[in-house]
Amino acid sequence: MNLSQIDLLAAGAAVLAVWTCGVTRVKTQLLGLVGQTTLLAGICVLLGLEEAAWHMLILALVVFSVKAVGIPVFLGKAAERIGIVRDRGVSNNSTLILLMGCGLLMLGYFMTPHFAVPTMMNRGAAGMALALVFIGMLLMVTRRLALSQVIGFLTMENGIFLYGLTQTNGMPLLMEMGIVFEALVGVMIAGVVMFRINRSFEHIDVSDMRGLRH
Amino acid sequence: MSMPLSIAIHLINLLILPLLLTGIIRKAKALMQNRVGAPLLQPFYDVWKFLHKTETVSGSASWIFVWSPRVGLAVALAAAILVPWTGALLPPGWAPATNFLLVLYLLALGKFFTMLAALDTGSAFGGLGASREATISMLVEPTLVIGLGALALGAGSTDLLTIYGAPASPFIAILTGAALVVAALAELSRMPVDDPTTHLELTMVHEAMILEYSGRSLAIIEYTVALRTCILLGLAMQTLLHAWPALQALPVLSYYAVSLSGLAALGISIAVAEGVLVKLKWRSVPNFLAFAAVLSLLAALIAAAQGGV
Repeated sequence: MNLSQIDLLAAGAAVLAVWTCGVTRVKTQLLGLVGQTTLLAGICVLLGLEEAAWHMLILALVVFSVKAVGIPVFLGKAAERIGIVRDRGVSNNSTLILLMGCGLLMLGYFMTPHFAVPTMMNRGAAGMALALVFIGMLLMVTRRLALSQVIGFLTMENGIFLYGLTQTNGMPLLMEMGIVFEALVGVMIAGVVMFRINRSFEHIDVSDMRGLRH
Repeated sequence: MSMPLSIAIHLINLLILPLLLTGIIRKAKALMQNRVGAPLLQPFYDVWKFLHKTETVSGSASWIFVWSPRVGLAVALAAAILVPWTGALLPPGWAPATNFLLVLYLLALGKFFTMLAALDTGSAFGGLGASREATISMLVEPTLVIGLGALALGAGSTDLLTIYGAPASPFIAILTGAALVVAALAELSRMPVDDPTTHLELTMVHEAMILEYSGRSLAIIEYTVALRTCILLGLAMQTLLHAWPALQALPVLSYYAVSLSGLAALGISIAVAEGVLVKLKWRSVPNFLAFAAVLSLLAALIAAAQGGV
């Protein structure tokens, strides 16, 4: 299979997501998210230049400023205010989760022929988008703190965004902007909820909240 | 390439580059720490000084203690000639000898003798260093073998000259190159895993093993370590350069210049990293090396999925 430049950038984003799986420091996880989203914005720019579609460049700018700068800075500030540094994860073994992320990336890679749209140029990116969604789910399942689960959610959102970007002929700018800002609002609400949880329970460790079910 | 040119380049590679690279790394590290640092050629002076000092050998040491630096040197020299760490210099007729598995395990043989010698004198620090070195090399080995195996799968041959002569998928080359850089850091006992300048015996890995050596043997060890640094970093650099197929088309001497500047850049970036990073807790070394293993695992799986180039 021949990989185009866009496929390579998508693969880089997926590898960064796998790397995030093995990291326990919240600030470093956020750095992984920044890198991943920046690569997606790069794909946006490349697509825009290829098709001479200027609205793609605007979209890249919005994605970069909201998802690669705004949200990570907000989450970093939130982590500082709540006073958390590390998320040791549910299994206490980050290497295991790293290997699981690696496996999910491969799963996405092998699913490429089933999910790629045959008429599109960058078919490899479809598998990587799928891998991002899987890894986002893995991150949400295996993290202990609400904050790093939000990072998993954003990774998943990035995967869906990447799929839409490379496998469709492009959505209207308004729709894309709407999705980006919706993610922003989601993260803001999650942040507020996190402060609330922190104030009521003095921590944001969700695995200690099982008692609420009974 | 013509025979005299090949011999000349080999002589430069074996005699000047290893200690010069060590000097560059030390100088860059000193500059990172706002020191002036020793002159660039200090490793040469050091080796010269050690060669003229009397050697002390413990009365309880056996022949292994005296012979292991020599074995290490011989093995490293053989590996330095076989590995194309500054670009392909050997004619293709050397094929069976330049197999990457042979070269990797030759280097491992040298390390095995270093560990034996560390245990031989019966000093407590030697045993400590040897046990840690064994653990690290056990963790690094899968990264090296799987990473180079991924490249071999892409090129359809385990011969290093063929691997670096054939075009590779840039993605595999970058993944493997990054994995090899991390593996080389651990294998060479450099910063995130072991501090090469430490003098606290309880934390040392490599230094603890060679604590008993002096005189000529120490000179041999210093040179061997410099040579191993060159081989491993050079191999990582060649893999990274492999990601740009345009470089393959360069004439031999310009490619040699590119390789050397790449090697120097890698050395300087290691020095910068050593200035910024802190040494890892011994417990978290496996986690650090897991990242390298995953990188080469990804490269291997992608190479397998692509079924060749």
